[in-house]
Amino acid sequence: MKYVIQSEKIGKIGDEFVPDYGINIEALLEGGFISTATETKSSKVKSEPKE
Amino acid sequence: MATSTYLSNLSTLTVNAVSLLDQATNVVFTNTKEQLEATAFGDTSRKYTAGLFNNECTMTLYQSYISSETYQTLAALVGSTTNVVAGVTDGATTKTFTLTGCYLEALPVVNASLGELSTVDITFTGGVYSVA
Repeated sequence: MKYVIQSEKIGKIGDEFVPDYGINIEALLEGGFISTATETKSSKVKSEPKE
Repeated sequence: MATSTYLSNLSTLTVNAVSLLDQATNVVFTNTKEQLEATAFGDTSRKYTAGLFNNECTMTLYQSYISSETYQTLAALVGSTTNVVAGVTDGATTKTFTLTGCYLEALPVVNASLGELSTVDITFTGGVYSVA
């Protein structure tokens, strides 16, 4: 699971947050300090191979 | 001369990776190893030996309910464990003290006195102490 910084109190907003051992992730999510990164899938649709 | 006057040399204070340096007015970081009595018959003086580490970090913070400040940082930590980091800069020397996995038992949610800025005193107990 990847996390994105949402508050300047823990780093640069938009950067990935990599938690150290012992960090309480649930509390950071509940407080809105970080969010879960949603992976974006490619919108390209594979075309059928030309024969 | 061995003095440490705290004006701006507490350079880092984070709770659960959130910087609370701008809300803190007091921090006490204590590394404790419990004292166990080891006196036996025949001894004429008490003897002690080291037990478990029982570390503690207390701090006084201005209460603030706005986004990313004291209340929002601590509310979800009550009854759970986290990390506390305090960095001290003294001249060219910087020491970073860390408690990993310390427990927050209680958070005063309202501490109101007429005409005073509200503060909260909190205590983190246990955890593994390290210094770098």
